[in-house]
Amino acid sequence: MDRLLPLIVAVPLLGAAVLVGAGRRMPRLAAETVACACAAASTALACAALARATTVVSWAGGWRPRHGVSGGIVLVGDRIGLGLAALASVLVLAVLAYSWRYFEEPPRGHSGAFPALVLLFQAGMCGFALTGDLFDAFVFFELMGVCGYALTGYHVEESRPVQGALAFGFVNSLGSYATLMGIALLYARTGELGMAAIGRQLDAAPERDALVAAAFVLVMTGLLVKAAAVPFHFWLPDAHAVAPTPVCLVLSGVMVETGVYGVARVHTTVFGGPGGIPAAGTRRVLVVLGVVSAVTGAVMCWQQRHIKRLLAFSTVGHTGLFLVGVGLLTDEGLSGTCLYVLGHAGAKAALFACTGILLARLGSVDEHELHGRGRDIRGIGLLFALGGLALAGLPPFGTGLGKAVVEEGSAWLPALFGLVSALTGGAALRVAARVFLGTGERGREEEPETAGGEEEPETAGGEEEPETGRRIRLAPPPMVSVAVALLAGALAVGTVPALAEATYAASSAFLDHAGYAATVLGGRAGGGQPGHAAAAHGGAWWTWTGAALGLLSAALAVVLAAAAVVGLVPSRGWSAPLRRLHSGHIGDYVAWTTAGIGLLSLLTLW
Amino acid sequence: MREALDDTLVAASLLLVAAAATAAALTRDPARQAVVLSLLALALALALLFTVLQAPDVALSQLAVGSAVTPLMILLTVRRVRRRRRRE
Amino acid sequence: MTRRARLWVLAAGLLGTAALFAAACLRMPPFGGTWHPYGDRAVAAAIAQRTANTVSSVNFDQRALDTLGEESILFAAVLGTVVLLRRTPDERRVAPQPASVPPALRRYAITVLPLALLIGLYVVAHGQLSPGGGFQGGVVVATALHLLYIGVDHRALERVRPVGLYELADGVGEGAYVVLGAAGLLAGSAYLANTLPHGTFNTLASGGTVPLLNAAVGMEVASAVVVLLARFLAQALEIVDEKTVDEKEEKEKE
Repeated sequence: MDRLLPLIVAVPLLGAAVLVGAGRRMPRLAAETVACACAAASTALACAALARATTVVSWAGGWRPRHGVSGGIVLVGDRIGLGLAALASVLVLAVLAYSWRYFEEPPRGHSGAFPALVLLFQAGMCGFALTGDLFDAFVFFELMGVCGYALTGYHVEESRPVQGALAFGFVNSLGSYATLMGIALLYARTGELGMAAIGRQLDAAPERDALVAAAFVLVMTGLLVKAAAVPFHFWLPDAHAVAPTPVCLVLSGVMVETGVYGVARVHTTVFGGPGGIPAAGTRRVLVVLGVVSAVTGAVMCWQQRHIKRLLAFSTVGHTGLFLVGVGLLTDEGLSGTCLYVLGHAGAKAALFACTGILLARLGSVDEHELHGRGRDIRGIGLLFALGGLALAGLPPFGTGLGKAVVEEGSAWLPALFGLVSALTGGAALRVAARVFLGTGERGREEEPETAGGEEEPETAGGEEEPETGRRIRLAPPPMVSVAVALLAGALAVGTVPALAEATYAASSAFLDHAGYAATVLGGRAGGGQPGHAAAAHGGAWWTWTGAALGLLSAALAVVLAAAAVVGLVPSRGWSAPLRRLHSGHIGDYVAWTTAGIGLLSLLTLW
Repeated sequence: MREALDDTLVAASLLLVAAAATAAALTRDPARQAVVLSLLALALALALLFTVLQAPDVALSQLAVGSAVTPLMILLTVRRVRRRRRRE
Repeated sequence: MTRRARLWVLAAGLLGTAALFAAACLRMPPFGGTWHPYGDRAVAAAIAQRTANTVSSVNFDQRALDTLGEESILFAAVLGTVVLLRRTPDERRVAPQPASVPPALRRYAITVLPLALLIGLYVVAHGQLSPGGGFQGGVVVATALHLLYIGVDHRALERVRPVGLYELADGVGEGAYVVLGAAGLLAGSAYLANTLPHGTFNTLASGGTVPLLNAAVGMEVASAVVVLLARFLAQALEIVDEKTVDEKEEKEKE
């Protein structure tokens, strides 16, 4: 298995090469079959590696370390990295199944272009999840980005997808430059590029000086941009609202989370030792940014009527929660976050899948315009509502379990997690009630606010074109079954004790700075056997308080949604300044990104 | 003596790059920016800098991409955009 | 945000970043020192693998996985461009007008073209020996072909440039790298391992898989750049909005 680990990345790349090379001669059915086969093969490899008890370490080219040093690149398949690769692969499979004949007409002569881009995207995410080399991580990070920009702008006939892709590309490229500069600083100090090797060199002569701090800030900037932490988050709603709906499944479900994973991975392997950044500094950075992102995302989510934009802001909110969970730097915090990410991926992707059906059938994603028009597809409405409840943390969904486990970390956490869950879940439930049940008044056509003279009218979502080319009458079975399967996955995360136990063991192994270096550079078997740590701890599983808090936030979400539908809670108007910041102006986003670097330095050096 | 010469060369090429990049940023007309600055000043200055820093591989890439492909792409884009604008 | 507010936010951010970066740079090892742990290791490894150009040894042997990623980035970027610059239903294709080129320019382009092509191929083939390799040589080859556009016109270029063939070569180049990597696995070693005989130091037949990977990258890069520029050329010269065509036709009728 050790030697086969790189194939998780290589197989999708080969698939993409075949699709491009033979693209002109390949019928569409063959192209989509090849893509699915490659994605499935990669998924199977990742799952097979996950089934092994120990961490899989694979040196590309066979450049194993001699006397603890190597010039080569290492792929490290620990439980969490492999788990993320598997999650990304599963979601890519879901996207390919969902978009099976979804687009009316692929680009002329390029029937394989869309699946090929999705496969390259998968390779980028898997490579990023598995690599144990900082520069290699940057390379795959860029691959992920390039595919993301192209997929976001897929509908070039309209101007907004191009605009969204441009914002995505600009802000992410800025983040990447920062990361590259940080890597250069670390290389100048240590002469190493491997994460474990850099960490070891930093620890060998601990100097917690400006160079280490600057490297930390710069490397983190790129990762936090991808993780859409405030104030680096502006690109996300613009991009996710306009990307083709199948692509949103991956963007919101796993790509943003890879940013959080990168933050955690780089912190523990590179900066986690005595020569890195003090734990208190990292905790302050992540928790502060996480709380601000969570609140901003949740508040903005509540205000949206463009359903895809609403879901995108909920991703900002939940990613904020993930950052808080990771930022606690405890086994419980990390394992809870992992479960939360898994559950969220299922729930959020299912919500996007339902939105795609709405768009294909009714030609709009505007909550007000769609009022009551979903009455005849109540089944989809049920799925949408379940997705909303999952977002709100209803037991026994995986989101609820993850939330419950993280919340035990500190007394103030339940309030934050409850608020964000209730607002985001409530917003989704409000949409479900209005669209599928037709309850409440049909939203009045309010005058779009124009403040400051340069603001665009509010994004409503009524002018979206159905992506299927023509409107469909019945939701095709693949689309519906993908949504059902994703929700079932979210449910399974919260109901399979073995998964939670394995996650807990994997998390303690993940946070072991010295253990990681010993596994990678010294060849020590590692990976945290489920059983040792978890048995002593009892694992991270439902507690009565956790379940009660989950029920409470779900109930709060229902109450909020009901109150909004009957008009008791104003859904907009009370936070105009915050909304005005999300202006769609790329210059603003660039300014905020640089300001964010300054903010990060302040928080790190405090 | 040699080191002093090396340092002078590095400093001179760095200054050249800084000057060319500033000029490129200050040129408002995209076509001129592409041709004059990418082709003549910035691409060559960067290639020179990389050569002086003993990275001929990178200098070669810079020369090939920076002085030919990038300006051509910018020029073609400008042409397409101008054509559309003229129509409107 | 108003322009003023934006500039203030930007200035604050840039100032903070610059201060941080400057402080970090002051703590860097001095420029031009003799302590190069990675470089020393890379040179020793390159000589052991009989690859005269250490940079190529790093790119295509010691860190070959990075290069696979980088090649894939170009591959993905070009594919993305093909998708984004596709002809949409409301656009039409028109034949571009033949252009007149000054004879001197034409003579220059026709003379330089074979020379540039040869240099490009040389740079690809000698990647394991001297500066250059697949990336650089590939771009030179692609640029050389476009001298036809400058020296003659777009139609002459189109005759030697069946885009479909270059797309095939693009895919083959990318696929060949992946498959060459897997050959290392089949030979019983690791993915992307240099399992071929290393040959004689400082000759064309040296470096094991390095020249082969260079050739794969050269093929991919050359065809990718051709495909990329083809999309840009098509957008700039051939593709017009329906409206423009209608207006033209109306004018002709009048």
